[in-house]
Amino acid sequence: MIAEDLALLREGLVALLREHDFDVVAQVDDAPGLLRVIAGHKPDLAIVDVRLPPSYTDEGIRAALEARRRQPGLAVLVLSQYVEPTYAGELISEEAGGIGYLLKERVGDLRAFLDAVRRVAEGGTALDREVVAQLLAPRRSQPQELAQLTRREHEVLALMAEGRSNSAIADALVVTPGAVEKHVSSIFGKLDLPASDSDHRRVLAVLRYLQATG
Amino acid sequence: MSRSPLHSGSGGLRAGDRDREAIAELLRAEHLAGRLDSDELEQRLERCLAATTYAELDAITADLPRRRRAVRAASRPRPHRPGPPGPPATMRGVHVRRVLRGLAGLVAVLVLAIWALASSGSPFWPPWVWLGLAIPFALDAAIRWAWRRPAGAARQAALVWGVGAVIEATLVVIWALVWIIAGRAAYFWPAWSLLGILAVWGVHWILVLRPRLDRASANAELAAQVEELSRSRGQAADAQAAELGRIERDLHDGAQARLVALSMQLGRAELALEHEPGARRLVEDARQEASRAIADLRDLSRGIAPPLLADRGLAAAVRALGARYDAEVEVDPSLEPRQLTPALERGAYFVIAEALTNAAKHASAQRIAIRLALAPPGLCVTVLDDGCGGADPGGSGLGGLRGRVEALGGTLTVTSPAGEGTSLEARFPIGS
Repeated sequence: MIAEDLALLREGLVALLREHDFDVVAQVDDAPGLLRVIAGHKPDLAIVDVRLPPSYTDEGIRAALEARRRQPGLAVLVLSQYVEPTYAGELISEEAGGIGYLLKERVGDLRAFLDAVRRVAEGGTALDREVVAQLLAPRRSQPQELAQLTRREHEVLALMAEGRSNSAIADALVVTPGAVEKHVSSIFGKLDLPASDSDHRRVLAVLRYLQATG
Repeated sequence: MSRSPLHSGSGGLRAGDRDREAIAELLRAEHLAGRLDSDELEQRLERCLAATTYAELDAITADLPRRRRAVRAASRPRPHRPGPPGPPATMRGVHVRRVLRGLAGLVAVLVLAIWALASSGSPFWPPWVWLGLAIPFALDAAIRWAWRRPAGAARQAALVWGVGAVIEATLVVIWALVWIIAGRAAYFWPAWSLLGILAVWGVHWILVLRPRLDRASANAELAAQVEELSRSRGQAADAQAAELGRIERDLHDGAQARLVALSMQLGRAELALEHEPGARRLVEDARQEASRAIADLRDLSRGIAPPLLADRGLAAAVRALGARYDAEVEVDPSLEPRQLTPALERGAYFVIAEALTNAAKHASAQRIAIRLALAPPGLCVTVLDDGCGGADPGGSGLGGLRGRVEALGGTLTVTSPAGEGTSLEARFPIGS
């Protein structure tokens, strides 16, 4: 289902997703509508705009969190005109996966966008690279361990934090999956994080780590 | 004549400039405290400047809590003010005057009796004695009448006019007596003295009173202008903030949304053109151009109104700002979201943002602390750092900051001894 107040975008998204074999069960244009529809349709994934009527502020974020509370396991992909780490932090502060926070303009890159939609729907994570960049931005009190990472490891960490799988990271960096595997285990070692199989769990581990120390 | 000014209630007494100023000050304080809105302040200030008695001043402040103190403060200088020795105002003075008046009356009657008994046929001379007796009382009455004016220009004028009037009246009576008793129709010679007295009044008016009145009205005009300017400046700041908010919304709902839709359509076209690499390339370039335009617009609207500030208010925005700079942030728990005007939130936000940039960039501070405190009747914003200090208060950076603060009616204090860090404190009035 889709919650977006601008008809132009909403219709476009619906058409796009239907073209690619997604079943769009409902579309609404405000936050109360989102909660109402979720109760009725029990969708797998909600795509939500941060700014929704009536207050045009952060209605979408609050509605998305409320929707997840009412329907545990509901995957939520939040679209926003701007990147606000505070909102991303609120979304990923929950244990469960199925979370995405992307800039609206990413819908232009259809492959990546559809990939993110699928990933979130399946319980994975999709964070905009801008969010990740802000979380990984060099800071004075940056954890010592982060400074120990090599440049390549930094790149891998950033892609990992976006929610990409090892093979996707390998594609993006044009290296073999085995090399990515090595980088990932090195990163986990340097950051002293427990190794984990599931994509979204390791993303959460990384982000939790960054938030706690950042 | 038994009513003495200092023993009667002060209600009917005439108030002076200093009293009016004290009340005006009080009204401005109540305006800052939020008890009076701008229109009401304006009306009351007008009434205050026009008030002539304490009763009128009392009425203006009757519904304000701080009025008692202010009225006392306003009337306090009166008993203590050392002035030229005036007529006795004590009960003893009243008694003395009464006895003297009795004696004078007795003498007047005696004189009449002596004239009647002793010298029938002689000219009717007792009025001359009566005149002599009356002059001191007339002068006394004139001076006390003058003394009831508020100290300053009004009292001075009353003295000059009162004494002048008594002198002229005496001369007119003398002329009349000469005419009646002697039966001689003398020409009206008191006209000459009248001219003299008029000349004295005129000189006093030109040299003393008019400049004072001009000054007073110029002052009142200036005060009104200052009031008007600060009010319109506040309104302009609010209007500007509202306008910026509207522009930001328009960008978000208009151009940005259309560009996003455009980029989505281009993305679909890109997929459809999978088998025509040349065309696909073109579409992809176009889409990336659209993405850059969206990013530009995003930067623009962030500069206009940081999203978190617009969405969640000052406290949340400052916390996020602090997180970006690793600063300790302390926000007054009683600060409610949406309690401040958009203009004030924007002003305070950008002051903090600029102070943080300075601390990180120029002072290479290790620790920064931000404090937002409600300090009635205003908001106090403090940014402290442990950097190298030595900030130039007159420099362009701090000058710009000061301009921003002062545009909102606030004050900026910067303490920055070299090597000891910098403390920046901005105080804004709330509701200006």
